Amino acid sequence: MHRWIMALFVTLWLAGCSEPPWQTKDISGLMPPLAFELVDENGKDVNADQFLGKSTLLFFGFTHCPDVCPTTLARLDAATQRMDEAARDDIQVLFVSVDPRRDDAEALREYTDAFGPQFIGLTGDKAALDELTRRYRVTYGYGEEDSEGNYDVSHSSAVFAFNDQGEARLLIRDSDPMEAVVADLERLASGA
Amino acid sequence: MSLTPHASLPRLAKRWCWAFLLLIATPGTVAATELEVNEARLRLLPGDLPAAGYFTLTNTSEKGVTLTGADSPAFGNVTMHRTVNQDGITSMQPVAQLELAAGEQIEFAPGGYHLMLMKRTRPLVVSDDIEVNLHFAGEQRQRVTFRAVAPTAQ
Repeated sequence: MHRWIMALFVTLWLAGCSEPPWQTKDISGLMPPLAFELVDENGKDVNADQFLGKSTLLFFGFTHCPDVCPTTLARLDAATQRMDEAARDDIQVLFVSVDPRRDDAEALREYTDAFGPQFIGLTGDKAALDELTRRYRVTYGYGEEDSEGNYDVSHSSAVFAFNDQGEARLLIRDSDPMEAVVADLERLASGA
Repeated sequence: MSLTPHASLPRLAKRWCWAFLLLIATPGTVAATELEVNEARLRLLPGDLPAAGYFTLTNTSEKGVTLTGADSPAFGNVTMHRTVNQDGITSMQPVAQLELAAGEQIEFAPGGYHLMLMKRTRPLVVSDDIEVNLHFAGEQRQRVTFRAVAPTAQ
């Protein structure tokens, strides 16, 4: 009897209440679903379909980036650490290097391993990277080389979040409060 | 190969004690002006990827100072940078110098000013203490110990 009342209650609750709004930027319907053809950190050709089934966070960067990239990845690590284990296992972070000249598979693997098992490194040739960055309306570019061949790479600083079907859901920025990021990732992991 | 390690220990301990006392008794004597550095940390990335140095610098003196750069025996190249974000696109700009008025505090923090430390001269691991010399206009130097932290450090 108790179970029936509970079921009725849950049904009414689901029917009666609309979902609370996302706390980070909602991009549902504004950005196309996840699609790419890239090379992973093991040197294998991969496409977006292979990453469906889990919620995906997509971030563009490069490994020779001392400040912003590790800061963003560390924030995502901290956010996922605060989620319960089941929800955490539903999140994967795709770090797409827009600096394929310096970031080969090995460099990417070593880099993402330093952040955690949920971080996966991807890159591709210029055509593949151009297609993907254009798809999400971001840009990247290379600064001037110094005498030792070092150069800066400009890239978008926000993280795109997709649900387990690959549908675009959120744009997460470094300025978003940690509580908001954790709450949204938990909701994303629960299938929103 | 030491056959009598215990005999040499007290002398060594004494020497370390003196070194330690000297270290804590002389904060910032390298620089003539009064400058306070706090939360000095260095975020290491794998391999020889550039590390980021963060700290808070307070000019507690009565006159302005100009930070002009840094060096470290642990790195072949140290430069000052600032991360800038324009229309959602982020990039790094070199910083030649930073002026601090009397009493002013400046933060080198993630997403803003940072030291970029490249070309390690020796292997470094998390929790190492790393010496960094901050350079100021007028040939002043201030030696600061940075603590190496993990890539995932906030």
